[in-house]
Amino acid sequence: MRTPRRLAALAATLALATLVAACGGSSVKVGSGTTVKGQKVNGGTVTIAEVGASPNFIFPYPPATNENGYNVNLTMGLWPSLVYVGDGGKSAVNPQASLYSSLKYSDNDTVVTIVLKPWKWSDGVPITSRDFTFTYNLLKANYANWIDYTQGLFPTDVKNVSTPNAHTVVLDLTRSYNPSFYTDDVLAEIPLMPQHAWDKTSATGKVGNYDQTTAGAKAVYAFLQKQGGDMATFDTNPLWKVVDGPWKLGTFNSSGYYSWVPNKNYSGPDKPILDKVVWTPFTTDTAEMDTLRSGTTLDLAGLPSNDVRQISALEAEGYSVAVEPTPGVAEIVPNLYNSAVGPLLQQLYVRQALEYLINRPQIVSKVYAGYADPGNGPVPVLASGSYVSPLEKAGGPYPYSPSKAISLLKAHGWKVAPNGVSTCERAGTGPSDCGAGIKANEPLQLTLLFTSGMASFDQQEAAIQSTEAAAGIKIVLKSEPFNTLISTAGVCSKQSHPASTCGWQLLDYGYEPYSLDPSGASMFNTGGYNNQGGYSSTEENNLINQTEYGPSSSAFYTYEDYTAKQLPWLWLPQPSNLFVYKKNLAGVTPLNPFSGTLNPEVWYYTKPSS
Amino acid sequence: MTWYLLRRVGQAVAVVIGVMILTFILLHMEPGSVARAVLGLRATPARVAIFDDTYGLNKPLYQQFVIYVKQLLHGNLGVSYQLQQPVSTLIAERLPRDALLLGLSTLLALIIGVPAGIYQAVHHNQLVDDVVAGTWFTLYSAPDFMEALLLIALLCVQFHVFQPNFPGGITSVGGVLTDWRALVLPVVVLSINSVASFSQYARSTAIQELAADYVRVARAKGVPPRQVLTRHVLRNSLLPVITILGMSLPSIVAGAVIAEAVFNFPGMGQLFWQSALSHDFPVLLGATLIIGVATVTGNLLADIAYGVLDPRIRHGS
Repeated sequence: MRTPRRLAALAATLALATLVAACGGSSVKVGSGTTVKGQKVNGGTVTIAEVGASPNFIFPYPPATNENGYNVNLTMGLWPSLVYVGDGGKSAVNPQASLYSSLKYSDNDTVVTIVLKPWKWSDGVPITSRDFTFTYNLLKANYANWIDYTQGLFPTDVKNVSTPNAHTVVLDLTRSYNPSFYTDDVLAEIPLMPQHAWDKTSATGKVGNYDQTTAGAKAVYAFLQKQGGDMATFDTNPLWKVVDGPWKLGTFNSSGYYSWVPNKNYSGPDKPILDKVVWTPFTTDTAEMDTLRSGTTLDLAGLPSNDVRQISALEAEGYSVAVEPTPGVAEIVPNLYNSAVGPLLQQLYVRQALEYLINRPQIVSKVYAGYADPGNGPVPVLASGSYVSPLEKAGGPYPYSPSKAISLLKAHGWKVAPNGVSTCERAGTGPSDCGAGIKANEPLQLTLLFTSGMASFDQQEAAIQSTEAAAGIKIVLKSEPFNTLISTAGVCSKQSHPASTCGWQLLDYGYEPYSLDPSGASMFNTGGYNNQGGYSSTEENNLINQTEYGPSSSAFYTYEDYTAKQLPWLWLPQPSNLFVYKKNLAGVTPLNPFSGTLNPEVWYYTKPSS
Repeated sequence: MTWYLLRRVGQAVAVVIGVMILTFILLHMEPGSVARAVLGLRATPARVAIFDDTYGLNKPLYQQFVIYVKQLLHGNLGVSYQLQQPVSTLIAERLPRDALLLGLSTLLALIIGVPAGIYQAVHHNQLVDDVVAGTWFTLYSAPDFMEALLLIALLCVQFHVFQPNFPGGITSVGGVLTDWRALVLPVVVLSINSVASFSQYARSTAIQELAADYVRVARAKGVPPRQVLTRHVLRNSLLPVITILGMSLPSIVAGAVIAEAVFNFPGMGQLFWQSALSHDFPVLLGATLIIGVATVTGNLLADIAYGVLDPRIRHGS
């Protein structure tokens, strides 16, 4: 009964906000289509809480050994990517905020012609194709030490880069690419670097054209990476003063506290209205929540899914709630080559029965209070926009149905014992037998290893354990800290499944984040480095290849639906990100699922209309 | 005394070396891939290889240990895998803040606990002794985090007397002191447990001292009761407290995990905890080494303090 009331309270708040917006004062259009009411106030400071945040690298191309997601938060507003992903709340490329004015694919999608907008760096120097070649040259010589490098993709997929004029770049690729994939997932990872300011090998050296030789490019990259890790000089180093995003770095200290101030020379469409944005670090969710509840200094903060029940109290403290769907897929990975239960999990009907018994709507409503993607398949319905197939939108191939699960098991020779442990009655490989490698009287019992430390996770796994029992599938729960779990649960395959790292049976460590194009590469293709359960299918491989290299825009749905049905992973709901923000702060919603840092350039304070 | 100190220092060095070796071996026996723990699930094999190569994790264990010892001898504690910063910098940033927080809380606990213990001793077996002891034990048995959350709920959320958390961005001790109001609650919470133990140690020792012959003689000679307490009983009652104080030095280095978590105080405790979760061996080794040094230093200081407070103790003999 409590959850519906909370939802009702939130709905009422949103409805009230809409009503107020419709009735009072002057309206202002911000960002990409959001209209907010109230008198706009220029200037002001917004303080944002970040839990556990401690950015440690400012150069926008971190080394391969650095895995600090908060670095993107620090740098994205300073050096946005060539292709800007996320258009207001839409999961789409934002052409207005992107650096290109046109992006054309030709010659069987092996040539990309990029025309840059006549924008300028913060020091007034124009952004040109030379900046692109500088970026390309550095990455080409150093791709192995770039955190975002994926084997076979940029820059190693480029045969040649030519620059017919100061604003045009032509990429000659080594093969055809699906334009959607290349734009949304590859070019969207590439911020440009200011050649006129960064092409140097020492702090006191002069800027040159060092990037044009491999040795020079290595020296420049090494210099920039070294400077990029020197936290003591982030806010004073002249290198980092040259930006092309809407913001410049104001202050920074090593505790993770930093501020942005407007880039007065920003050429893009949304010039900052605020005077300053401050990121303040918190050690834990508890500390952040205490500060929010005391109604003090924070203007915007993430709301952990464990604290959803605090929403009404926070609203009483003057906050509104914003929901940001998470672009990612939440899953349970079945280990198809576990020595004990691999034969069981290799059977599609077993995976189907498992999926039918996950009551995803109930998990969304009871565990996540409604703030979650339904998890109908490999692509998030709420966060991936046009990539979501009709099948997924309709609820996916395996909606909750204990009766179908029981029928499936019975049809394959199982003696189903609801709330007990089902056992294999007909061992064998015939169509109505249990399947290869499954012995007579073998129990349908699996251990689910999951991440500890989050109440919502505990509740989700307990719910799954409970609903799976309806068909006599016994789930034994075992939890471990996230880092322990990911370091001990290895990638297993038919060829390699050592007991030391492949002893796990079912694994739930959270979710896999997606770029704008929610590609299945690395997760579901044979030998993919993130294909932990060892799923392998020629058909799947072909379909994934079509999404990356084929010309058809419909290939994605074919891949998506096939994957949804084949269940290389069991699909789960994915909680959305929740934020609370001061009610007099406008422009926060709709949240861009891909911006990482939110988009404070479109925010402003309001005061009541007179 | 000098010989005694030299011997104790020698023992301390041996203990620290033992701790270092043991910690190194135990940490590296931890199952799982460090690279995957740090880089996450999307780490490609190429990135894992670069990581292992960068930090020498692909070398045999004995070679890794030799490299670590060589670094140590040059004053280098290594670089954090997770935070990508020198361990010495990370510790140097946090240690002074923790020292201030735990130093203040210990001082407050002493100021309250020792006089309270002596007061209880003077009135022992009376109602007031039972009431005070009951109060201390109640507070002592309540978990830190519960006391912290209760105080926050009452004084920050309800009445807005104090701010609940340390403002982000304060890195120096000076900055911490500038925002002294934010220190009040963490200091109070951290001192609660110490007050209970200090007062009970002081109480039991003071009861023994009050029954001692020299106190009776002093009283028989007409020394005023207050003077007996302050000049004779107090000094001797401090001996067990000194032991506790010496042993509390490592906790200053180890930080106060709960207080740091609840009050947004980025100290050694949080650093240690996060490093343990993420297999950040250099930080764990560095912190363990510092804690080991602090432990033996604390005990050494306690031994020296005994000699100062009690002339009967002859360290050199």
